[in-house]
Amino acid sequence: MKTTRMHLLMCFGTGCVSSGAEKVRDSLLKELAARELTDAVSIEDMHEARAAGEVAVVQTGCNGFCACGPIMVVYPGGFFYQKLTPEDMPELVEEHVLKGRPVERLMFRHPVTQAVIPHYADIPFFARQNLRVLHNKGRISALSIEEYIGRGGYIATAKALLEMSPQTIIDEVKKSGLRGRGGAGFPTGMKWDFASRSKSEVKYFLCNADEGDPGAFMDRSVLESDPHAVIEGMIIGARAIGAHQGYIYCRAEYPLAIERLTLALGQCRERGLLGKDILGTGFDYDLEIAHGSGAFVCGEETALMRSIEGKRGEPRPRPPFPSDAGLWDKPTVLNNVETLANVPLIIANGAQWFRSVGTEKSPGTKIFALTGKVNNVGLVEVNMGVQLGEIIYDVGGGIPGGKKFKAVQMGGPSGGCIPKEHLNVPVEYESLTQLGAIMGSGGMIVMDEDSCMVDMARFFLEFTQDESCGKCTPCRIGTRRMLEILDRICAGKGEEGDIERLIDLGKTIQDTALCGLGQNAPNPILSNIRYFREEFEEHIRDKKCRAGVCAELVRAPCQNACPAGVDVPGFVSLTGEKRYNEALKLHRERNPFVGVCARVCFHPCEGKCRRSTLDEPLSVRAVKRFLYDQEKTPQLPDSIADGKNGKRKIAIVGAGPAGLSCAYFLARLGYKPTVFESESKPGGMLRQAIPAYRLPREILDREIDMIAGTGVTIKTKKKLGTDFTLPGLKEQGYEAVFIGVGAPQGLSLGMKGEDGQGVVDALGFLKEYNLTGKAKVGEKVVVIGGGNAAVDAARTALRLGAESSTVVYRRTKAEMPAFAEEVEEAEREGVKFEFLAAPLELVRKGEKLTSVKFRTMDLGDFDRTGRRKPVAKGENDFILEADMVVAAIGQKLVPSALFDGMAPKQNEREYLSADPVTGQTSVDWVFAGGDAVSGPSSVVEAIAAGERAAAGIDAYLSGEAHAHWRTYRQSDAFFDPDADPIMGERPTVKLIPVAKRKGSFAEVELTLPCATALAESKRCLRCDYREKGAN
Amino acid sequence: MPALTIDNRKIEVPAGTNLLEAARLAGIKIPSLCYLKNVQAIGSCRVCLVEVKGAKTLMPSCVTVAADGMEVQTNSARARKARRTILELILSDHEGDCQTCDRSADCELQAIASDLGIRQITFAGAKSRRMTDASTPALVRDTAKCVSCRRCVTVCGETQGVGAIFPQGRGFKAMIGPAFAQPLSEVVCVQCGQCAAVCPVGAISERDEIARVWEALDDPKKTVVVQTAPAIRAALGECFGYPAGTLVTGKMVTALRQMGFDRVFDTNFTADLTIMEEGTELLTRLKGALVEKKPVALPLFTSCSPGWIRYAEHFWPDILPNISTCKSPQQMFGAVAKTYFAEKIEKRAEDIFVVSVMPCTAKKYESQRPEMYASGERDVDVVLTTRELGRMIKQSGLDFPSLPDGAMDSILGASSGAADIFANTGGVMEAALRTVYEIVTGRPLPFENLHVAPIAGLKGIKEAAVKIEGTVSDWSFLEGVTVKVAVAHGLGNARQLIERIKAGEQYHFVEVMTCPGGCIGGGGQPRLTTDEVRAARIAAIYKEDEGKQIRKSHNNPEVQAIYAQYLHKPLGEKSHHLLHTKYVARERV
Repeated sequence: MKTTRMHLLMCFGTGCVSSGAEKVRDSLLKELAARELTDAVSIEDMHEARAAGEVAVVQTGCNGFCACGPIMVVYPGGFFYQKLTPEDMPELVEEHVLKGRPVERLMFRHPVTQAVIPHYADIPFFARQNLRVLHNKGRISALSIEEYIGRGGYIATAKALLEMSPQTIIDEVKKSGLRGRGGAGFPTGMKWDFASRSKSEVKYFLCNADEGDPGAFMDRSVLESDPHAVIEGMIIGARAIGAHQGYIYCRAEYPLAIERLTLALGQCRERGLLGKDILGTGFDYDLEIAHGSGAFVCGEETALMRSIEGKRGEPRPRPPFPSDAGLWDKPTVLNNVETLANVPLIIANGAQWFRSVGTEKSPGTKIFALTGKVNNVGLVEVNMGVQLGEIIYDVGGGIPGGKKFKAVQMGGPSGGCIPKEHLNVPVEYESLTQLGAIMGSGGMIVMDEDSCMVDMARFFLEFTQDESCGKCTPCRIGTRRMLEILDRICAGKGEEGDIERLIDLGKTIQDTALCGLGQNAPNPILSNIRYFREEFEEHIRDKKCRAGVCAELVRAPCQNACPAGVDVPGFVSLTGEKRYNEALKLHRERNPFVGVCARVCFHPCEGKCRRSTLDEPLSVRAVKRFLYDQEKTPQLPDSIADGKNGKRKIAIVGAGPAGLSCAYFLARLGYKPTVFESESKPGGMLRQAIPAYRLPREILDREIDMIAGTGVTIKTKKKLGTDFTLPGLKEQGYEAVFIGVGAPQGLSLGMKGEDGQGVVDALGFLKEYNLTGKAKVGEKVVVIGGGNAAVDAARTALRLGAESSTVVYRRTKAEMPAFAEEVEEAEREGVKFEFLAAPLELVRKGEKLTSVKFRTMDLGDFDRTGRRKPVAKGENDFILEADMVVAAIGQKLVPSALFDGMAPKQNEREYLSADPVTGQTSVDWVFAGGDAVSGPSSVVEAIAAGERAAAGIDAYLSGEAHAHWRTYRQSDAFFDPDADPIMGERPTVKLIPVAKRKGSFAEVELTLPCATALAESKRCLRCDYREKGAN
Repeated sequence: MPALTIDNRKIEVPAGTNLLEAARLAGIKIPSLCYLKNVQAIGSCRVCLVEVKGAKTLMPSCVTVAADGMEVQTNSARARKARRTILELILSDHEGDCQTCDRSADCELQAIASDLGIRQITFAGAKSRRMTDASTPALVRDTAKCVSCRRCVTVCGETQGVGAIFPQGRGFKAMIGPAFAQPLSEVVCVQCGQCAAVCPVGAISERDEIARVWEALDDPKKTVVVQTAPAIRAALGECFGYPAGTLVTGKMVTALRQMGFDRVFDTNFTADLTIMEEGTELLTRLKGALVEKKPVALPLFTSCSPGWIRYAEHFWPDILPNISTCKSPQQMFGAVAKTYFAEKIEKRAEDIFVVSVMPCTAKKYESQRPEMYASGERDVDVVLTTRELGRMIKQSGLDFPSLPDGAMDSILGASSGAADIFANTGGVMEAALRTVYEIVTGRPLPFENLHVAPIAGLKGIKEAAVKIEGTVSDWSFLEGVTVKVAVAHGLGNARQLIERIKAGEQYHFVEVMTCPGGCIGGGGQPRLTTDEVRAARIAAIYKEDEGKQIRKSHNNPEVQAIYAQYLHKPLGEKSHHLLHTKYVARERV
């Protein structure tokens, strides 16, 4: 007999097979045979999915880490190889199998540190899991009862039948606290107890293998990889309640599961584990597979039983409960696959062992199918009570593509979502229910910023509505009416009151439907409204889908993503045809600041660019920069001259992006507004906070002059509250005012001695330099914060001659709110970064600041924004020398200094409260927008707010809507919808060398060469294009 | 006796009572649509939801059994709101053409909506699948009006054991109808109309043929005669607000006459004729079996009920030889009206227009069978249901309650009390026994007041044994024979009885009526026929019988006259041609 010295376990789950496991296996066998390491077998000969010899190749069920397939685990050692190709096999066999030198190249790497993790058990995806139910997954062949027995299988059956009475079995399961894993979480032992007390000659013990939630595949995986575990659970359960016949109700969509179950049942009968006189104990129990045809409602127990009886699968009212009258009106227990797979473990190891993990009320582990926008898609088994965030970030590896996590949907069509503010929730039955979600059967769909919560709600309701049996009114008609409301909201036809109607009807359906399917159908909708009501409101009120999903609200995802609504495909395609003036005018229809935004916009358009699914997103900002550079004289779109409007007096307070935009759009309607600016020069934050190396002053001046040229008067050094007041404006005959004063006050560190020498706030520091051309700077500068102001301050300090400039941030680089490209340039310019540190103390020698003491932080629980909170890591402190500390930890508005007796209402964050559509405040003639309303935000958000207020003011004064620029006109630039996309790489924008930046405030970024810019504009997929006549 | 509190009132109810019935006992009416006492309690419409203390959701009172100590609120804000919303949802998917619907003012949905004071539909939206099925002579289905209460499904599948219609599809598209959205004509539907009888709305109704009757009445060339089935007189009054079980025979005759019928005749006449033919057939078969020792198909089954005939043709083709070859009284009437009566008034068959008024929808179908042209013409031209007659009387502007009593016309108008009881379960059998026993023994049937008590009442399957003693000479071979008879009403019961017979149970004569309670509970009767209504109508029929001078069919002078003048003898050649028929085995789809 040959000795097998090495086992190569290849995953043959559905995921790995679809990513090419079969070809890898073929190549592997060829290589092994060539080296005489295994019997030369052809693939067809591979008996029971195994090639034996000195080296054995075993095809296992799903390994679980589907994202890394094809996967192979090598024993001894437990080496984990991932993403294998047939071409990798010669090296792997030669090096590892033959010479014993594991191949690093094919191993898993830590997503952040990039360190190689050779062993299966050390990979975070596995390390945080606790494989109990799945302990055989990827380890044994699902086709072999010997391998199952070899891993301890059927010991529990023997124990239960030979050593335990039915009541002691029930007591043990009761003590274990096992709860139904199908979703409802009913105590399994209690269910068995009820059925065992029911007096009847005939009883049934059934398994629900009719897994139907979209995205859930736990049960299928267990059935396919370890069918005997389920059968064993059923034998024990049947013994406990006194059943002699059972059925496994499995949907026909799971042919592999049915095939393997059938094989396993045969093996059991052959060995006396099923049928008459099991193990010689006199106990009879036999099992059949009942094929379901995939009706979701047949997962409901009474419907499932009707279906086994050969009738239409419809639920009936309960009571009577199945434990009294179930299948053919006999006492019946129905348990889910995962529940049953837990039973042998409890019997073999005892209730205490089972309770050793999990929580008091939810002991044990739970399997989840982790899918959606998460890096490590796959099947995971974790202890109950684990934090939700741990599953998503540690096991799941976080969100791909740097996108923001939005919510996780649990429990499928009967469940709900859990948003980022609740990532700390322990995963157990009660805590999830409290948040409006449910444990469900284990479907866990991760959603990021690109998921529309309205559409998601609609998706699930469409599913339940289709799957409703149609028996009871609320489910048949009620869910349909809800779906109709959601349909119209998604189509931009939502009406005021629709949200209330959904809640009202949803709650009634929960209270009135006949079965669980109907009662839970409204859950995803109510849950999404609970946490994402504003997305619903945006769809209804603004006809906007921020995620860019709802087709009828989104012409092109880039335009949809732009807060100002700039027609991106329009100006890009015109640029591509060198129709620069038309392109500039088109851009300025919605946003006057082409030059400014070409430099400083954080370009949300690119984040939604569909081109990224093909290669990389279009470089919209680079094209815009090129376009602006082609402008000879300012290009302005059409305005309406209106003599009557020109005579009305409108005041705008603050010449920042919001105020100037508001003035610009008012001017385009014929008004002649006056802008009051407190500083010596207009521009607001654009001038005061953004350094010239990012936004050259002449560009800014040119665009402000352009706006002034449209009939806008700008008065500087006029400060609200000091030089003029709102009542004063009223007296002077101003009919409307727009407040766009920003949030100019820096937040203080809240540390002792921060009022002393050497401590400044970032805004003050930047403003001083930007307005006066000079500012005092220390030698050793420490900037505290992680936003753009921190990075700008650090880079400015270096330019002004600081010896060193260090940014200290309490979280990690990944959490920094600053633009990644700015952080990167700062590093190249010599700015140092310290992460995970929070200031503790300012150290002074006398008055003079000498250093700052920091405490090392760690990331702990999740906060309301879904980021991990920094928490002190012991008392691991360190000191940074510093003679200047710049605080860049946030900004605020101090309204008390501005208003006297006529202050508009503020919101809970102490910013001004304004109507999201019109910008109107609680004082009807006063409008507001920009940072003063939203808190510190982006330039383009401020521009958009200015535009909205302009339309709002016009509507307030005239009673009509005249915002003609809002009418969409499709670009007439050439586009061939049938042509293949034009290929090409996203260009890299050239920068001036780092050496030349020292001491200089010259612009860092260069413009694209003409040919490159034109080629880039042709990469646009023209999502805006519609066939003539189509919408 | 569980004691519970309903709307703060303490009440004790019999064990097993559901909350809806319990509330009724406490004087509280909970609206409901799908519930039908003794027929269906499935909790599907959700109109009858109530608040039960301790329950997570509202509970359907029709399927929630009263338990000791239960605290129930039927009219709490929560229950009221839910009930309203449910009803609005149903209305939002309902056709709502109430003014032109034949259920207008007789519609359970309309009544509940009115009771709840619903004035607007909050959740309007698309309507589900619309389909009209007028494929059968008897019934018209309109899914646009269906509320999916499933009473029809239960009645068809369980009460009748036919299973022609059931829920199809899922979700909003779920609808009630034959498999694969086929028309009723293509499936096993026996056209009994029990579905129409229990439908709370206008989704299933009889095919309305009133217009054809008016047309005939308006045609001066036609002699229009009308026959009314025995069950009509005990139910027609309900169309005019009389309580169930009010006999309105005289007013009905007057109404028909005033509406312009040339002769007002009585199906009772041919019921008596049927007894003569069928009784003779039974005796002939008994003689064949007992004297001639021939292989004779026994037991003999009655054949008056066309739904039963079609059911047997679809489901039990092997017992067709056992079914009496007698046509139903309706068809016997048509045949003699267009021959015997036509000759009397010297008209041709095609000049006579026969209208029958039946409690039955299957009679519409029966009149169109190809076997029913014995006179050379279609023997019965139009069949109206009781409900149609009620509507027709209203159309004619007659104030029914104030009409004087009239009497049936001769020569097809006289009847015995035995004919009256054809209307209810057990009646045909009793009528037959009254005549057969007297023929065989020369003495009246030895039961009190001639009623065979064991086969009366609403029990599903009933049986009786009559020992024959003291026979007259022609029938001495029956001396000492105990004649065993059985009666089933409702096809589900008929199925059980047949299965019993196939298992070896022996009877001589079996009566089957398609509809529960017999013809008084027919698919064409005023809605809603409950067991209480059935009992009241049956009591009226017995009263009619007992009030008659002549209680036995063979004593009917006009029956005696037709044999003397025209037919000569039962089972004779003319009878064979006019009064007997044959059956066809049909596919079971």
